[in-house]
Amino acid sequence: MIEASFMSYIALALVLFSLGIIGLISRKNIFIIYMSLELMLNAINLMLVTLSKYFGSMDGQIIAMMVIAIAASEAVIFLSLIVAMYRLKKSVNIDDFDTLKQKGTL
Amino acid sequence: MNSFFLAWIVLVPFISSILLGSMYLYSISVKKIPNSVFTFLAVLSPLISFILGVLFFIGLENGASDYIYEPYTWLQVNGYIISMGFLGDRLSIFMVLFITFIGLMIHIYATGYMKGDEGYGKFFSYFNLFIASMLLLVLANSPIIMFIGWEGVGLCSYLLIGFYFTEPLNVVAGNKAFIVNRVGDLGFLIGLIFLFFYVGKLGFDYGALEEYVSIVPNHILTIIGIALFVGAMGKSAQIPLYVWLPDAMAGPTPVSALIHAATMVTAGVYMVARFHFLYDLIPNVGLFIAYIGAFSALFAAVIAMKQTDIKKILAYSTISQLGYMFIAVGLGFYSTGLFHVFTHAFFKALLFMGAGAVIIALHHEQNIFKMGGLRKKLPLVYTVMLIATLSISGIPPFSGFFSKDEILLKAYSHHEYLIYAIGLFTAALTAYYMFRLFFVTFYGKNYKEHHMQSISWSIKAPLVVLAFGAAFAGFMGLPDVFGGENLIDGWLNMWSGKALHVEYSVEYILMAISVIAGLLGILVSFLKFYRYDFNQKIQESGVVYNKFYIDEIYNFLFVRSLQKLSVFISVVVDDGIIDKTVMSLSNGFINLGRIIGRMQCANTRAYAFFMLVGLSSFSLYLILKLG
Amino acid sequence: MIDSLFLILSLFALLGAIGMISLENTMHSALSFVVSIMSIAGLYALLNASFLFMVQIIVYAGAIIVLILFMIMFLNIRQEHAPKEPNKFPTMLVVAIVLIPVNYLIFEAFSKMPHIEDFSVKIDGFGDIKMLGVELFNRWLLPFEAISILLLVALIGSVVLARKKERE
Repeated sequence: MIEASFMSYIALALVLFSLGIIGLISRKNIFIIYMSLELMLNAINLMLVTLSKYFGSMDGQIIAMMVIAIAASEAVIFLSLIVAMYRLKKSVNIDDFDTLKQKGTL
Repeated sequence: MNSFFLAWIVLVPFISSILLGSMYLYSISVKKIPNSVFTFLAVLSPLISFILGVLFFIGLENGASDYIYEPYTWLQVNGYIISMGFLGDRLSIFMVLFITFIGLMIHIYATGYMKGDEGYGKFFSYFNLFIASMLLLVLANSPIIMFIGWEGVGLCSYLLIGFYFTEPLNVVAGNKAFIVNRVGDLGFLIGLIFLFFYVGKLGFDYGALEEYVSIVPNHILTIIGIALFVGAMGKSAQIPLYVWLPDAMAGPTPVSALIHAATMVTAGVYMVARFHFLYDLIPNVGLFIAYIGAFSALFAAVIAMKQTDIKKILAYSTISQLGYMFIAVGLGFYSTGLFHVFTHAFFKALLFMGAGAVIIALHHEQNIFKMGGLRKKLPLVYTVMLIATLSISGIPPFSGFFSKDEILLKAYSHHEYLIYAIGLFTAALTAYYMFRLFFVTFYGKNYKEHHMQSISWSIKAPLVVLAFGAAFAGFMGLPDVFGGENLIDGWLNMWSGKALHVEYSVEYILMAISVIAGLLGILVSFLKFYRYDFNQKIQESGVVYNKFYIDEIYNFLFVRSLQKLSVFISVVVDDGIIDKTVMSLSNGFINLGRIIGRMQCANTRAYAFFMLVGLSSFSLYLILKLG
Repeated sequence: MIDSLFLILSLFALLGAIGMISLENTMHSALSFVVSIMSIAGLYALLNASFLFMVQIIVYAGAIIVLILFMIMFLNIRQEHAPKEPNKFPTMLVVAIVLIPVNYLIFEAFSKMPHIEDFSVKIDGFGDIKMLGVELFNRWLLPFEAISILLLVALIGSVVLARKKERE
């Protein structure tokens, strides 16, 4: 029988976080990248809440709540950036946004 | 006399040199300054130095102890202290006196000789710097300060020999003088470094050195002695480093006079005398020096017999006379050597200035076989040249006789009979080649008529003054055979305990022999050249005429091989190895940069991946490390 | 009971996350993300964080996800406009392999913490709104105010960024 123990929550959070990174790196769609980021934040939140219970202290939950608040403001900024970028290039492919790349050879 | 003024003996010509130099620059670039201004300044500075020298001389004569002036500490490194020190003892003041006096005469002479020359101001700037360097050399309180003067003299000789630098040959001659001197300087420097290594901690002025030199091991002392003498070889033009001196004739004649009489070449003799405490401990090296001197004297005299250029003959005679001086100092008779330095300064300056006057009068003709019959036309020059020639030939009562004879006497009394024989033979040769020069220049028949240029009083006046010196300077060192008192010996007080082992009768005989040798040389010369026929063809070939091909041998041995080595290094080592390595390294870095630069691809996901790889390898490291 | 709940919720969370990162269609993956978010909310509830459970549902599921969906539809991104990603799965494999040491390290670090037999809370009302509020407005007052300013900045910033430039 699998106990709903501390380590299983941690393992779950780690896996979710890793899935977030995988999505972030391997996908080109800006929306999916954004959602991967949110997934990573959620994984961290899960870990914080787990630790909050582990230590019997509310601090973890409060920090998690602040992370949610930051995630919300980030969502607003990110989505308005997506709108601005989409207006610029008519694309949601992250690889199209390479203005910093040096054109030509050295 | 305040020892503070000791520094001013050096500083006056030095400041004057800088002043003349800047005035010259102003003169050529902004507004012409009349030559009289340059003349005034140039002549004033050696005069002031001379007067200061005389004042110090009087001070010492009245029983004052050695003047030492140390204005400031020049270097202080890790316990080694080198202070800028000036030492005015009997030796250095003696040197100062004749350097400034002869220098003053040559300056006056040069104002006439260089008249109308474009680089008038520049010339005197160099001239004063030359005097200043030489004075620094003799007045220095430690070998390090002396070395500054030593190098300064080398620099000035380079500047002055190559004075007419538009002529490539002169530049070559200047370079040769500088480079050959550099070889000597290296030896000198090695000697100093050795000395510094062994006694530097205890103080490095002459007083301390004299006190502590005995703690140096004997074999090291031998190395030091030889290394220092290599420096003297370079400066004083002894075998094998004499080759620069004949070529130094490329400069204007006053330069030759200055180099040969007052400055530069006497530096080597002075240096050996200054380090007498060192050479006293190593008599074998002294003997080596004496032999080098003897062979240089003979060798140069033989070469001089066949030369045709009036200045080159004089140059070889200088090498020969310097050889005599080294015989004396090498055997430990420092005051005798310096006595010869003193008399030589007079008659050699006179010879050069007379030769210069002849050259000026004949519109820069230097070949004696194109002169002839000048006795009637240049009576004054004729007279002074006669005095100087008699003096160098060792005919009494002219100055050269006393000093040269004393050297031969000392050699004989020291049982160095080979040196004595060489010296005697050389004396005969000297008389021969000097009178050859004299007869061919002033007598002869069937010579061409010359259009003469008049000679100004500023050339003539120093000639007369120096002629008196050349004639009578010898009486300052009158040997006690004649009931005289050797003033030079008494003044320099450097007998080093070596007593004379000869009877008066032997001394008389030796004197007679050397006079006879001189007269013999004159006689041969008289028979051959008194009625020299200028129509006959002169033979310009042979081993001796070509100076034993020494220049060619040196060229082959050192210059060519060095050149080949340089080419090898420049082409194979530098271009082939070093350049290639450096260039491929830099190209490699550029290429590496290009490759790394590709990482900066402006792809956000790639950046995220790089970050992840970094994080991952860091984690891997921690896992392996912590287990 | 709790174990089986945990298993089910974590299964859904993982499936939702995997679906989110691997589905081709943006809309589909957003919806899959909702599943994941909701499951995590359930996990919060299991961990006695009742207030966070509500916040998660309201803010994430209710606000952020809706905002994303709205944006996707607003920009009208069809499947043919979406970027082509042929190397998606090989890349995922590579990244997953690179991630192994990181995960291993963190997991090891956590497993070194003191083991607790009974993973449950003894305090009354732990994680409910009252306790959280008391904590938040006493010890965490300054960060709370800072967050509120951050939200204001984000509000203004989004307006500035998203507004159309008038003179162009």
